[in-house]
Amino acid sequence: MSGSTLHNLRATVPIWAFTALLILVAALLSPPFRTLTNVTALLSLAAPLIIVATGQAVIILMAGIDLSVGSVMSLATALAASYATFGGSAPVNTILILVVGATIGALNGLGVIAGVHPLIMTLSTYIAVRGVALFVLPSPGGEVSGGLLQFVTLQVGVVPVFFIVAVAIAVVVWYATAESTWGRRLYAVGSNATNADKSGVNRKAVILVGFIVSGLLASVAGLALVGRLYSGDPLAGDPYTLNSITAVVLGGVALTGGRGSIIGVLAGALLVGSIGNVLNMFGVSSAYQFIATGLILIVALYAYNVGVFRRDRSAASAHLNTGGGR
Amino acid sequence: MTSISKALRNAARRRDLIVSYSLALILLVVSGLITSSGLQPNRILTIFGQNAPLGVAAIGQTFVLLSGGLDLSVGPVINLSNVVASEVMDGQNGRIPLAVAASLLAAALVGLINGVLVAKAKINPLLTTLAVATVVQGVYFAYTGGQPTGSIAPAFRVVSNGRIGVIPWSFIAWLLLWAITAFLLYRTVFGRRFYAAGANERAAWISGISSSWYIVSAYVASAVCAGLAGLLLSSYIGRASIGVGDPYTLISIAAVVIGGTAFTGGVGGLAGTFAGVVVMVFIATILSTLNIPAAAQFVAQGVVIASMMLLYNRLGR
Repeated sequence: MSGSTLHNLRATVPIWAFTALLILVAALLSPPFRTLTNVTALLSLAAPLIIVATGQAVIILMAGIDLSVGSVMSLATALAASYATFGGSAPVNTILILVVGATIGALNGLGVIAGVHPLIMTLSTYIAVRGVALFVLPSPGGEVSGGLLQFVTLQVGVVPVFFIVAVAIAVVVWYATAESTWGRRLYAVGSNATNADKSGVNRKAVILVGFIVSGLLASVAGLALVGRLYSGDPLAGDPYTLNSITAVVLGGVALTGGRGSIIGVLAGALLVGSIGNVLNMFGVSSAYQFIATGLILIVALYAYNVGVFRRDRSAASAHLNTGGGR
Repeated sequence: MTSISKALRNAARRRDLIVSYSLALILLVVSGLITSSGLQPNRILTIFGQNAPLGVAAIGQTFVLLSGGLDLSVGPVINLSNVVASEVMDGQNGRIPLAVAASLLAAALVGLINGVLVAKAKINPLLTTLAVATVVQGVYFAYTGGQPTGSIAPAFRVVSNGRIGVIPWSFIAWLLLWAITAFLLYRTVFGRRFYAAGANERAAWISGISSSWYIVSAYVASAVCAGLAGLLLSSYIGRASIGVGDPYTLISIAAVVIGGTAFTGGVGGLAGTFAGVVVMVFIATILSTLNIPAAAQFVAQGVVIASMMLLYNRLGR
């Protein structure tokens, strides 16, 4: 493992410690939290978020952002719940869903390469894909193919198979970003686009591949969501856009790009995925859950900024710096 | 040197405006041609009045984008203003001033928190306004228990159904606010410094402008505009309805960027925002007149935003 990989891994210790502490305290204090049913619920809640946050992290590492992931997830559930029209059989339907996700990612990438600010490019696709999802499945429901449903709801003991898939995806993408040539180029584009250009990195290719990965993973996350919904929902993915960004940032990846590790994002996703569940178990009403979640986010961001976790102070930035023209 | 680059920038800005105003005009005409009541001034003015909340919210969002940030709390602040106005007014005309003051104060407070976190604590604007928006949502859920009560006083509903001559009150409110803020931005020292702080915070600071307070002012302006938008919307719906402001967050951003304001800060302005709002409004009007389902409207909106941005890039911005 290279030195920079170890350096980035060391920076994920605080977020892992905090997540572990939260879960430990909840398990000690709340009997309903430590039941096996709740463990299963928690893990199946975390699975889609881990997958979509992994893709989001790839984009944020190169100083971009992907707002379209929520709509892509919704569309994936909508397509899965209309398998008779789209594909006819489970395998064809699944492949179609993945291709659609990757294609939307590619569109985002092409727009960003053409100079549109990633925020605006992916905002456009977020809105447009939401329309497509509502067109495919106007209201929640539909019928998911038996084969797909069986796979996405499979369990090994109390552990949902898709949770294992999610962790595996995160680890594979982490390894690729940390150790492969592609990963090094990704970090290079994120830390300094001009320097990356000068040292011969094909920035356009890196951006395109990054967005394809994000779109693809968002559609896989949509499949994971089907495992929780047992049906489709044209708006079910919506919260995941902002939740995935939150998970990535809490995981220690700087929005300015080029800094952080997907191993941290895994912890960030577990944290974001379990806060609601933990607060529920302590009987906190949903109104106060909103307040608590917002405050936790502000405190964590401030802590990162002032360097409580001894991260590079220059990571602090008040402004979006997403590289593109707009 | 500076005068040349300034002249170039002005030229580019004009090209932006030409594109956005042409599109606005085309959409307006098309929306008139497809129905029989078509281009009657009364119909057009009613549409402008109904969309005054978006126009007002977009004015605030423009300030934040010019400061180099982004405000995701616009929708929740509109909801907050709507809930507070309805609860405090409670249907009584005598309580209107109190309710208006309470709504705007609550909104301004949210803006101040956003601004301080962004400019002073240096937290990224996207995440700051997202986190603050989440807290604001919690606050009005806790305040109302999810079941808001009260209603808007009859006298206040004049804003939505009253007219001065042929022009709806709400449209006048929008135009008036636009004129005042545009004057502030384009014709005062405050405006100059505001642009400077947005374009390059540090450079502005070095030349003696306390940049961070200009940035704070952008978030306060945005929240107060969202508060006003909430009041206008309240006048239309006559009661509290949690979630009524939600769509305004993204649509206000879309309107501002279609108007030619860049995400990088310091480029663009309120002149274009007016056109951006008209574009967003008349796309929706045309599609709903043609009975095109909401699904296709989203697709059209997304495509228009993306293509406008591609076009602006081609124009060399």
